[in-house]
Amino acid sequence: MAETIETKKIGSAARFIAVMIFLAALFVVAIILNINSGSVSVGRGDIASMLLKGTKYGFLNAVTGGNYSDELGSVVRASTESQIIFSIRLPRMILAAVLGGALSVSGYLLQVFFRNPIAGPFVLGISSGAKMIVGITMIFLAPFIGSLSSITIIFAAFLGSVLVTGIVLVFAQNVKSMSMLLVIGIMVGYICNAVTDFCINFAADHDVVNLKNWSMGSFSGADWGFVEAALLMCIPGFLCALLLSKPISAYSLGEGYARSMGIRVKPFRVILILLSSLLSACVTALAGPISFVGIAVPHITRSLLKSSKPIFVIPGSFLCGAVFCMLCDLIARTLFAPTELTIGTVTAFFGAPIVIYMMIKRRRLQEG
Amino acid sequence: MEAYFKTEGLSVGYNGRTLIDDINIALEEGKILTLIGPNGAGKSTILKTVTKQLEKIGGSVYIGGCELYSMQPKMLAQNMAVVLTERIRPELMTCAEVVAMGRYPYTNMFGKLTREDEKAVNDALAMVHALELAGQDFMTLSDGQRQRIMLARAICQEPKILVLDEPTAYLDIRYKVELLEILQELARTKKATIVMSLHEIDLALKASDFIICVGDSKITAFGTPEDVVKEMSIEKLYGMETGSFRKWFPHLLSDYE
Repeated sequence: MAETIETKKIGSAARFIAVMIFLAALFVVAIILNINSGSVSVGRGDIASMLLKGTKYGFLNAVTGGNYSDELGSVVRASTESQIIFSIRLPRMILAAVLGGALSVSGYLLQVFFRNPIAGPFVLGISSGAKMIVGITMIFLAPFIGSLSSITIIFAAFLGSVLVTGIVLVFAQNVKSMSMLLVIGIMVGYICNAVTDFCINFAADHDVVNLKNWSMGSFSGADWGFVEAALLMCIPGFLCALLLSKPISAYSLGEGYARSMGIRVKPFRVILILLSSLLSACVTALAGPISFVGIAVPHITRSLLKSSKPIFVIPGSFLCGAVFCMLCDLIARTLFAPTELTIGTVTAFFGAPIVIYMMIKRRRLQEG
Repeated sequence: MEAYFKTEGLSVGYNGRTLIDDINIALEEGKILTLIGPNGAGKSTILKTVTKQLEKIGGSVYIGGCELYSMQPKMLAQNMAVVLTERIRPELMTCAEVVAMGRYPYTNMFGKLTREDEKAVNDALAMVHALELAGQDFMTLSDGQRQRIMLARAICQEPKILVLDEPTAYLDIRYKVELLEILQELARTKKATIVMSLHEIDLALKASDFIICVGDSKITAFGTPEDVVKEMSIEKLYGMETGSFRKWFPHLLSDYE
């Protein structure tokens, strides 16, 4: 019988590797499609050689701390095509990948925290809270601080996320039911949106042009500064989540059992919620509120893996979220080109049906 | 012999309000202690307090000579395992994976199972006669099977003391008896000390070495099943008419007469 456990273990690990290879293949496809598509078509061979050079000098430049910036600059500025690739498509693609991954992990952590598969930064109003504080910062504080760096915006978004999470938590302690929690989250989200709209109405036009674009949710503002900020915040956040995978697995048996196995439940919950807020704040700050990725992707990942082991689900969700957002962004910018859709339009179109399906399936499980 | 599990003047309750105070229990290693009493009397409150699920109000609890509240969480987890009344709903987890959670206090920071861990999982499943359930999804099991898996999880934690809150609730008589037999075997072969609460007085008297009667905000009796029955403690505990317990369960008394 020892073999049964053994084979089962190997089974889930093998499945994990297979799923990761499949997602990695999709990731490569998404990269190729993203770089190749757009209003200006660039020859395939040119792209390959450009990327090769760009990567080489970019890497050397990063490692040596700026010694190769001239070479890098000359590769980038070589032609209009190279400028389009390096200054527009590439950063946008990387940003979509990193933020998509971060958003999925953030959603997953919230689902662990609330023990509720429908939890996510968007449905619980956390994205709207981040948007509100960022909006207020952009409109009212920008004149005093001068230009807003991406770190300032991330910080503002983080404040907003924590604020709304705090409010939702206060209510969540009193109501245990899953649907009530969602109703509270959605209502808090509406209030935050109302405050944001109110501020926009009374702000001067030149202050809100950026804000309006940003608050719709889009990767179109991407530049290398954004990419750098996203990588700096999201990769450590992702690694922290991975380090939490052991307590997360025990926490899935409930608070009582988690405590009995030696987890300090209170600090663990605080870390979980802060980490999730940080990741979703980073996404909201750099790309605006994006719906449904946080719920749908962890669910897709669990279904693909046929396992809920955090050590598998966390990296799986990150990769799956990266692919999902890259493809959604591709659709957003190419489907009705030159008109661009907001990213939320596309993610909702694919994400919402998955959420509906989950709700129905769970209902059936509970009744059956 | 030195008591393995001991409480001294323990008071328990919720939100700083005392429900039961002055609880003094001493239990040797390898013995089974059962709490009986009416609903809402505070059996669960006591069990939650001695497992640190609930803050104590006053007094002390000792596990193997160490004060409960001075023990590191990990050290406590290596000494004490629990079976709670809260129902778990793990998604996409096999029974073997649920049982393997019991290895939590022993595994590395990523929870990787070593060969010994896997053997412990296997032994625990064998002990509760659930080896054939190892690969099954936990959510597809019946109540009786789930309870056995939860017991296997606790056994897998290799506790010196096992605390169970109404482990036989929702089970039919076959599983009730089976579960209690497993507990007796644990106490006998592994020298595990067992503290639990039961609703079924007849089973409690048969299965335990000691009985505590918890009623009306106090401990009304503590002793061997024989003492408890002879002193009419059960009738007092449940507010029954004198002699009515004797009338309905004469066989339980004849064991001691």
